[in-house]
Amino acid sequence: MNDAMSSDDAQSAEAPPRVLLVDDDDVNLMLTATALRERGFEVIEATGGESALERVDEIAPDLIVLDAMMPGIDGFETCHLLRHRAGYAQMPVLMLTGLDDDASIDRAYRAGATDFFVKSTQWSLLAGRLRYMLRASRTRVELERSKFKLARAQDLARMGSFDWRRGDGVGHLWLSAEALRVLGRSPADKVDLRALLRMVGRPQRRGLMRMLGEVVAHNAVLATDVSVVLFDGRQRIIHVEAEAEFEHGHGVGYTGVFQDVTDRRVAEDRIRHLANFDALTGLPNRRQLIWRTERALEQARRLNHNAALLLIDLDRFKNINDTLGHAAGDELLMEVARRLRACVRHSEQVMDGALEAAGSRSHRTLEAVGRLGGDEFVALLPEVSDEADAQRVANRILESLREPIFVAGQECFCTASVGIAMFPRDGLNLVDLMRNSDVAMYAAKSAGRNVAAAYSAHLGGRGREKIELESHLHKAIERDELVLHYQPKIDVRTAKMVGVEALMRWQRGNVLVPPGDFIPLAEETGLIVPLSEWAVREAARQARVWQQSFGFSDSIAVNLPSRLFERSDLVENIHQSVSAYGVPHKAIQLEITENNLMKDLHNVSLSLHRLNEIGVEISIDDFGTGYSSLAYLTTLPISELKIDRSFVRDLGITPQSSAVVSAIIALARSLGLRVIAEGVESLRQMEVLHRLGCVVMQGFLFSRPLPPDDLESWLHQTVLPRKAPWIGAVGEADGSLPRLERA
Amino acid sequence: MPMTCRSPTFCPLAEDGGRPGGAAPAWGAVLDSGALARLAELDPKGQGGLVARVLATYTQSLVKLLDQLAAARTAGDTNALRHVAHTLKSSSASVGALQLSSLCADIERKVREQQTDGLEAQLDEMWREGARVLSALRPGPAGSQRPS
Repeated sequence: MNDAMSSDDAQSAEAPPRVLLVDDDDVNLMLTATALRERGFEVIEATGGESALERVDEIAPDLIVLDAMMPGIDGFETCHLLRHRAGYAQMPVLMLTGLDDDASIDRAYRAGATDFFVKSTQWSLLAGRLRYMLRASRTRVELERSKFKLARAQDLARMGSFDWRRGDGVGHLWLSAEALRVLGRSPADKVDLRALLRMVGRPQRRGLMRMLGEVVAHNAVLATDVSVVLFDGRQRIIHVEAEAEFEHGHGVGYTGVFQDVTDRRVAEDRIRHLANFDALTGLPNRRQLIWRTERALEQARRLNHNAALLLIDLDRFKNINDTLGHAAGDELLMEVARRLRACVRHSEQVMDGALEAAGSRSHRTLEAVGRLGGDEFVALLPEVSDEADAQRVANRILESLREPIFVAGQECFCTASVGIAMFPRDGLNLVDLMRNSDVAMYAAKSAGRNVAAAYSAHLGGRGREKIELESHLHKAIERDELVLHYQPKIDVRTAKMVGVEALMRWQRGNVLVPPGDFIPLAEETGLIVPLSEWAVREAARQARVWQQSFGFSDSIAVNLPSRLFERSDLVENIHQSVSAYGVPHKAIQLEITENNLMKDLHNVSLSLHRLNEIGVEISIDDFGTGYSSLAYLTTLPISELKIDRSFVRDLGITPQSSAVVSAIIALARSLGLRVIAEGVESLRQMEVLHRLGCVVMQGFLFSRPLPPDDLESWLHQTVLPRKAPWIGAVGEADGSLPRLERA
Repeated sequence: MPMTCRSPTFCPLAEDGGRPGGAAPAWGAVLDSGALARLAELDPKGQGGLVARVLATYTQSLVKLLDQLAAARTAGDTNALRHVAHTLKSSSASVGALQLSSLCADIERKVREQQTDGLEAQLDEMWREGARVLSALRPGPAGSQRPS
């Protein structure tokens, strides 16, 4: 009381509290007013309800004291009317009642009185009560004001309060209007804990309930983000933060806030995404991959299992970029990314917290395909049982790229080479694994591309020189260092050129690298595939050039390795090449060695048929050196047999060689195939061959392989003027020789 | 019932401020001295002449209420009866007319609880007591202003 008095004294020093005193009894009015004035109140008297209601606005009291029993509008009615007037809802009203009048006390509260006071002459008690009411009112006004401010602040922060009390079942939940708004409900809605939990998706709910159970059991602080689907279907992230409430040392419930942190989360996620994901494909970028790999390796080390890193490099991406443009290249990368992603259990998000849980399988969420840059991708497999496991994923990847990709209005084939490095076998850290997967990927390229290769120690130990050569050969195409030289095929009866064979040369600086020095390496590394593809294009181009300059209408034969025939896109490639230069399909002839053909007859034959259908002729190179069984020849759409140079060399030296050559010629005749001899170096060989029935020949006797311009000169200077020694050596004299060429 | 009229010349608004401690006030036998003392405390220095003003007000009020009592009884208006009893109860207590106050309290309760037995006799008693207090407070012959 003393405290209250002193603080009120301070208050009254400013302005005395203004009391409107209403009593119909003049005596009481006078006494009460006097007593209150004596105690520092400013008192305005009114003798009845009517008068009070009429004057109250003008008086603007801080407090109203009403006598309950009055004629006319009594105290109860006056109070009731006041409460319904704007601005008087919170006005402190004290009702004066008689002693032992319980009914009036009850009526007073129902009429909206703040408090009641039994009339007495103990004025100090009345004054004390009034001061208490004023203080409570002030506190209440301040509370209302700060509640309003809080509500507004919470609204702005998309925040709301809640209270939860333990009880039967799920207990009792109270949500503030702001909290309800956060949840997309109106303030009038009732939402119990059960309804709240139903807003959480089923998979998350179980975990959330377990966590809540644990928190509540320990009266621990609750702070978590929950993904919810609001009643209107919107997905939001709600941050929940609450502390336990205690009574007599026992936790009785929780008090806390909800906050809609979706926007903040979205922004954070966006930033995190930009920093960790490739903008084009949406896949994890190098940084993210490194982070994931390091985590995965930690886990693999701890849990003692294998992990694998697959380096995926697209095979002919540069071609696509160059010929179709960068936009198409980007489009293709996006599609490739989409397919690669489907090959692993790709996790967009990593459960950071969950990783800490020892022994869990959470490291699985690290699994992903990412883009290192350009056309290089990585698949991280955080746990694999063995290499075969990784190989399976690699095969899935290769398989997924087998289907053509439709970009820039056309179908593209974009295969990949995959290098596999295993933890811990091929490396214990990120750097080693990355390097060794790169080595393995290189080996895959070498093995003909469109394959996967696992790292092995010997891959890493290849000769430095060879690696260097290989890496330069890789760039030979882009640098335009490859050239084709052409060796004419001659019909010796007419002394005319009937076609050419294209032979690859590597112009490395000033040095012309002979085929023997790089073709085997190209074969070994698989570079032979892009090299051959280039050769087809280049031959088509040359056919066009010659067609313009001297009416060339024969075929240019290009040597292809069998692995190229296995590719489903070979036909498409050739078609594109000849179409690009406007020459007929027959301008390109393909040569495949007998050995290559026999190695993979089944796979090759389909391509041969399709090539034959579009008019591309097939020639069997090095014929006679391979299998003696020739049954396959009857089933394959072959146009020409090429007698191996070894038989030609020995013609006239060993009797076997002329026997073989005769047999080949006879066979060709029976099958309706052309036959051609290569490696013809002397007139004598020419003569024998001609005698045995072979009229088309190729060899140094006629010309060595020539650069295209030189070939043209050779035609003009040697063939047309008929100046060479081989011209006229056969032919006219023996017109009865059978014509072996097919019409 | 004998009506007490000690001093027909008494004036409650006398210059002495109506202090009960003054020369033997006429109402001393009617009004409770403790109650009067508490009234006086409200005006410690006596500058406002509070006691005199209160007694004058009470007198006016008493006259008015006794008139209302008579009218209510004639009309059988219990609400009015109750109001008179209620008002007179508290103001009488304030000035120290304790017997009148307690009579009024009893009557108020009976009316509220709709008890009629003995009410008429009490109302008569209230009338008489009211007249007694009035005559003690009023100057001049009390009978001249008594309600009939």
